[in-house]
Amino acid sequence: MGLRAYIIKRIIYMVILIWAVITVEFMIFNLLPGNPLEAYVSGMRGIITPERMAELRRAFGLDKPLHEQYLNTIVRLLTFNFGISAHSSAPVSSEIMRRLPNTLLLMGISTVLSIIAGSLIGVLTAYKRGGVFDTATVTLSLLTYSVPIFFIGWLLIFIFALQLHWLPSGLIQPQAWAHAPPSNFLEKIAGRLLHLALPTIELFLFSVGGWILLARACVLETITEDYVVTARAKGLKERTILYKHVLKNASLPIITNVALSLAFTISGAIITETLFSYDGMGLLTFRALNPPDLPVLQGIFFILALAVIIANFIADLLYGVVDPRVRYG
Amino acid sequence: MATRKASIAFAIQRFKGFWEQFRKSKRGITGLSIVIFFMVIALFAPVIAPYEPINPMEDVGQYPAYGPGIGRKIATRLCYPAWYKYMPNVPKGKIDLSEEFYNSITYVPEYKKTFQLFGRVGEENATDDVLFLSRRVSTLHSITATYLNESSDSIPSSDYVVKQYDPREIMLKKTYPNGTVFKVMYTTGVDIVENIEVIQDPTFASQTSFNEWSISTDQGFNVEYNSVKGFSNDGCLEISYLPTALPPETAKVTLSRAFKYPYWEPPRQVLMHLSFKLEGTQNASITFFFTREDKPEPFILRAYQLNASTSYEHKYFDALAPEVKANLGSEHPLDLIFAYPSNYTFSMQVTFDNPNASTKLYLDNAHCVIYGNAFGLLGTDNDDRFPRDIFSTLVYGTRISLLVGMLSAVFSTLIGLFLGLISGYVGGIVDEGIMRFADLLLVLPTLPLFIVLIIALRSVGTLISIWNIIIIITFFGWMGFARSVRSMVISLRERTFVEAAKAAGGGTMHIINRHILPNVFALVYITLATAVPGAIILEASLSWMGLGDPLVASWGKILYDFQSAGIALTKGLGEYWFWVFPACIAIALLATAFILMGYALDEILNPRLRQRR
Repeated sequence: MGLRAYIIKRIIYMVILIWAVITVEFMIFNLLPGNPLEAYVSGMRGIITPERMAELRRAFGLDKPLHEQYLNTIVRLLTFNFGISAHSSAPVSSEIMRRLPNTLLLMGISTVLSIIAGSLIGVLTAYKRGGVFDTATVTLSLLTYSVPIFFIGWLLIFIFALQLHWLPSGLIQPQAWAHAPPSNFLEKIAGRLLHLALPTIELFLFSVGGWILLARACVLETITEDYVVTARAKGLKERTILYKHVLKNASLPIITNVALSLAFTISGAIITETLFSYDGMGLLTFRALNPPDLPVLQGIFFILALAVIIANFIADLLYGVVDPRVRYG
Repeated sequence: MATRKASIAFAIQRFKGFWEQFRKSKRGITGLSIVIFFMVIALFAPVIAPYEPINPMEDVGQYPAYGPGIGRKIATRLCYPAWYKYMPNVPKGKIDLSEEFYNSITYVPEYKKTFQLFGRVGEENATDDVLFLSRRVSTLHSITATYLNESSDSIPSSDYVVKQYDPREIMLKKTYPNGTVFKVMYTTGVDIVENIEVIQDPTFASQTSFNEWSISTDQGFNVEYNSVKGFSNDGCLEISYLPTALPPETAKVTLSRAFKYPYWEPPRQVLMHLSFKLEGTQNASITFFFTREDKPEPFILRAYQLNASTSYEHKYFDALAPEVKANLGSEHPLDLIFAYPSNYTFSMQVTFDNPNASTKLYLDNAHCVIYGNAFGLLGTDNDDRFPRDIFSTLVYGTRISLLVGMLSAVFSTLIGLFLGLISGYVGGIVDEGIMRFADLLLVLPTLPLFIVLIIALRSVGTLISIWNIIIIITFFGWMGFARSVRSMVISLRERTFVEAAKAAGGGTMHIINRHILPNVFALVYITLATAVPGAIILEASLSWMGLGDPLVASWGKILYDFQSAGIALTKGLGEYWFWVFPACIAIALLATAFILMGYALDEILNPRLRQRR
């Protein structure tokens, strides 16, 4: 199988996954006994005019039989036409588009930082395995799995925002900017970065433990391989062995895990954004909980699942390019 | 029979061998002891926790005054723990405060020359024409006025007055220009106040409790203990009149209890309750009041008319009720009464009009509870009606976390094992189907999926119970394990011992049972241990977002209450750290314990790791 056939296979697989996600959404929003979307629209009685309600029914295809509702869901989701948010009365897609960059910025920065730091620390611990440093790092990494992320968030807010007054405790930019945004571009960036600091630290702490453990495990796996023994027998320098023979091979699983970890990091981002009132997809999700705003939730879930699927697709492609064995597997 | 015995003996032998190894692992033993510790707490929760975790109340009998089946609240909301007074930086006694106000006269009406509005500096609208301090004034030191950056002038004490009946309000007698900033320096009392039950035995259960009352009566009245005429046919107080030669027009009986109020801070709330039955034809009235040692005239709280009736009636009131405020002419009656540490008496005075020979009054269920700002081991949460004892919620929460963690781990591991076995052993289209389904579930972001599912279930009227959450976590938690079982089974399937078993005529079930399962089981134990923390954290996260079961006390619910109280962003963990620290540490500890056990099991059961060591 050549690279082209491999790519085509992955694309087909991606399309099937997207179809499956839409089906899952249909099952949750239309097929659950009582039809949640129907219940949502009927719940708006008295809040909106009967004409608006009929319009909503038509938009969600609720007056049609189930198979047409299914088709309607597919078309609606694929065209990003999620409906109108009950809270803000704005189209859900524009609500999402407004916040998606904020979330991507937060997740991007913290993911890159945690991958770099996690891999470096992981390699170091694997190299000095068995020592005090190794034990301490592994224990601390395990702790990041078990300490609830909101506890870390409250501690961060308390220490850095309320006690030391170093960093703002929430929002994406100073409150005053809503009326008078600064004209200076540098000032704008500085303000945004300052508000990004605490959420980024939080999300970094949330995911860095996993990367440390993964990098450590991968390096430990490769360090016992025969070719490393051979390299050592050849009399190569330890550093050369570590960087040329161990790290290169150990980095493969790290690359694939970047995409896989996305689904995990999203959970962390939702909690982080809620804690710090950071105006992204997570806060949008939290605000759509009570009272329930089903169109927003449907849109968010589809966009997030889509992001994970696309990321996985890219990771698969990269993996296929980096490791030729995969294509023939 | 013999073979079964032998196999049992073999199993015991193997377990002993395993235990020998596990005992040597420090991590494993630490984890196991923490888990056992929490299990003991969960098991004995009703014994350890002093209060009911969801709707805690003091059982004070079914008095109709409280409403049907409703008891008295255990404490006011947002209480500090009782031990908080021993903390170093907690102020107690007298402290000096300063507060700033500004003057914002926009116009002075003709009829009210001195009309001016004062607002607190930092707030937008000025709405009152009195300086309202946030705490009671013990001593007012000075008020300085500053107008537009001019030098500040001290206002002479003849130009202001602290209201006699409300020690939080200051009236300024002169008019000051718009924009003046006033700085008030005063001393106030602060303290950690615990609840005080003024009447220790409110139901008059025994004669001794009767003796603790001091009673003063007009001539001809007799007050004694009656052991059968009480509200629930138990003890009560009986006031009877023995006619004298010249019956008085009105006669008074006063019952009082002395108590000490040792705090500088006023209580947050005072509740009173009384059941009574008046026999005879006359009307009588009862007055409740407090007296302070150094002040002769009483603080009259409320008076009730008593009418003759054949059954018990009940009166119940709050010392912050509008009637009490009107009686005392104060917006802050408790500030006025409990001004400083002193000896107090709580009294009930009954006034009889034209008493006669058949006049009898029975009193029962006399409660007078002073609610302070400290309670229990970990304080209370911010529930409006029935604040919960955080310690009790924490103890009962152990049950939920263990239940959710362990059940969903067991179920998801079983599902994963089953599907992994089928997928790996059967192969072909079954394998493909199961694995693609697992892939799909793996790609869905977990937390958003759970949120969407729970909200959808809720919107069709399903009440989310803890079992729904266990089912959801189980259903989306088996994929990883199924994958590893599958890959293991695929490699085991090709081994020679399986081929030998097949050649010997072993059936599919036999081969799976005897040759494949035992090899997979090491992985099962490890997965069981490591799947628990994920489920515990997930449940806590869902509860923290308000998506948990509202009817059970869980650790996540404590965190949700803290988050929704809004304290996290304003005061942070600084003031109410005792509210969330224990719950967070409990979650972390329990999760870590299972991870440690998983690691220990991994080291013992995973042959590759054993070699490396």
